[in-house]
Amino acid sequence: MNLEVQLPRGLRLQNPIIAASGTFGFGPEYASFVDIGALGAVSVKGVSPEPWPGNPPPRVWETPLGLLNSIGLQNHGVEVFCHQDLPFLRDTGTKVIVNIIGHTVEEYQRVAERLNAEKGVDALEVNISCPNIKEGGMSFGQEPDQAFAVVQAVRRVTDLPMMVKLSPNVTYPTVIAQAVEAAGADMISAINTVMGLAIDVKRRRPALGGITGGLSGPAVKPVALRIVYEVAQAVDIPIIGMGGINSALDVVEFLMAGAQAVMVGTVTFQYPNRMQEIIEALPAVLRSLQLNSLSETVGLALPGRVPLPPASEDAYE
Amino acid sequence: MVNKEVGGLAEMVRGRVVKRHEPAPGHVELWIHSPVLAKAIPGQFVHVATGGMLRRPISFSRLDHSAGTAAILFQIVGDGTRWLASVQEGVELDLMGPLGRGFAMPDPRHPWCLVGGGVGIPPLLAAATAWTPFLNEPPTVVLGARESALLLLEEEFRALGAAVEVTTDDGSQGQRGTVVGPLAHWLAKHPTGQVYACGPTPMLGAVARASQGQSNVWLALEQRMGCGVGACLACVVLANGQNGPVYRRVCTDGPVFAAEELIFE
Ligand SMILES: Cc1cc2nc3c(=O)[nH]c(=O)nc-3n(C[C@H](O)[C@H](O)[C@H](O)COP(=O)(O)OP(=O)(O)OC[C@H]3O[C@@H](n4cnc5c(N)ncnc54)[C@H](O)[C@@H]3O)c2cc1C
Ligand SMILES: Cc1cc2nc3c(=O)[nH]c(=O)nc-3n(C[C@H](O)[C@H](O)[C@H](O)COP(=O)(O)O)c2cc1C
Ligand code: FES
Repeated sequence: MNLEVQLPRGLRLQNPIIAASGTFGFGPEYASFVDIGALGAVSVKGVSPEPWPGNPPPRVWETPLGLLNSIGLQNHGVEVFCHQDLPFLRDTGTKVIVNIIGHTVEEYQRVAERLNAEKGVDALEVNISCPNIKEGGMSFGQEPDQAFAVVQAVRRVTDLPMMVKLSPNVTYPTVIAQAVEAAGADMISAINTVMGLAIDVKRRRPALGGITGGLSGPAVKPVALRIVYEVAQAVDIPIIGMGGINSALDVVEFLMAGAQAVMVGTVTFQYPNRMQEIIEALPAVLRSLQLNSLSETVGLALPGRVPLPPASEDAYE
Repeated sequence: MVNKEVGGLAEMVRGRVVKRHEPAPGHVELWIHSPVLAKAIPGQFVHVATGGMLRRPISFSRLDHSAGTAAILFQIVGDGTRWLASVQEGVELDLMGPLGRGFAMPDPRHPWCLVGGGVGIPPLLAAATAWTPFLNEPPTVVLGARESALLLLEEEFRALGAAVEVTTDDGSQGQRGTVVGPLAHWLAKHPTGQVYACGPTPMLGAVARASQGQSNVWLALEQRMGCGVGACLACVVLANGQNGPVYRRVCTDGPVFAAEELIFE
């Protein structure tokens, strides 16, 4: 089965499985465990104009079927990324999505502009979950006007395919999605982590050094599916879905909810080769559901689509 | 000085448990058949799948090239180690390793001292076993535990010919107090001595302070981990960077660091 996915501005993936930002480093870290060239794409850890130090440890905490993290977007900045990491990724043959972050609209623009000068960047993913330090520290993704402003600013300086990553920590993700579509986003990726907290009872304080953290893993899958399903009905641009994907069947759920491709994150820590296993299993799983292509699967569960007719009474499962 | 030691190439491996032993209450040692892991450098670790969302990092207590076995010795402290403790001989484990930078072998011209507290002791046995045949003198070993019953591997170190000094918090064996007393004493007598320490972070901070000014002091650290391969930036510790403090990764920049690299709060 052909697993290719055609996305806007000529971005073509050999399959719909993408390593999620922050869970696959800047490229080389998983090289001895994963055939990186076999992946649909890799979205690298968030990259800022200057290095960011990140939050104090501990930075991860396990929760039931979930992972709470407060890495704090530690990264060595776009300059080091371009010299140290990008050449490696370029040689793997996978598509490279650079996740960009900033504290101000200008910082986002600077990273995007710097990446224009580099070969081997196939797309940008604008992470709008960063705090906007000029506007009181609330994240860009929390407010439609802020989200619009940052996406429009990045659009002005780049012709690369651009996806914007939505935060689930808002009342109406669809409103933010429509704002970034209007600002020129080519795609939407969703969801980022769900804000949470854990208490370390032995130390009598919040478990994470950053106090609050972002929840990921199977625990957030229903939240992610709900948001993909709603956003798919609110915008016309393609959606890259994610949140708790562990298996090919999970991927099919996201496709049916309206995603054209998916990202896989937390499960990689436990099973580094799970993304490859999913790619290999996907055709058989689709066929077992009487589906013959990715494109016919996308959006099948959305309202207005014709569901499978009920089985006749004398049919056996 | 930074740790440039690298180990064998890491792989996903399945390893069968060939022997299981309980060396102290609440502690289990498992011998695993895996030629890949047996090639590890002392101080490296293995990332073990235990059914939770994350693997659990455990160092090697023994590495036997010729038998193709590696052993891990751990304390039961939560769900992951409780599951691992229930594993019996014959069971196959899902493992990732060997990971991290291990200990660099001591300079044979100078004396060496191993300092271990609690479950920090096991990786030092792997080091002592690997190096003693190649060095002029067996090591001085300072072991610390809460109480006598929880002291690990003392006999194994003695069997290598090491001079072993024991400290316990409650004085139930050896000297009452921490490993820092005997270490400071040893350092005063051996100004060019090389120190290898592993244990709880506050103990390592005390070792770093007691050995300030000494350049051959190596500490094996613990931190909560995600990936174990440097990708998630979860496992950081505060270290001296070129332009001030930076966070470095225990899983790939360590777990063994030069004491002078680190900042203890
Ligand atoms: C490089 C390295 C080597 C280690 N070597 C040994 C060893 O040889 N023997 C041994 O007994 N223990 C060792 N540890 C500590 C061991 O990893 C933890 O005790 C274990 O992960 C606890 O898991 P749990 O599920 O039983 O506990 P829980 O407390 O339920 O664990 C929850 C989470 O916290 C993490 N965690 C808890 N305590 C620690 C800790 N002290 N350090 C790092 N992560 C922790 C777990 O990995 C898990 O992600 C080592 C840790 C590191 C980083
Ligand atoms: C440790 C960790 C670090 C992350 N870092 C980033 C990041 O830098 N930028 C970003 O957009 N998302 C980041 N994420 C979010 C993931 O890309 C993804 O949106 C989320 O984890 C949900 O997918 P999952 O359940 O498959 O992990 C991070 C997630 C984790 C667990
Ligand atoms: S555990 Fe992921 S970077 Fe160290």
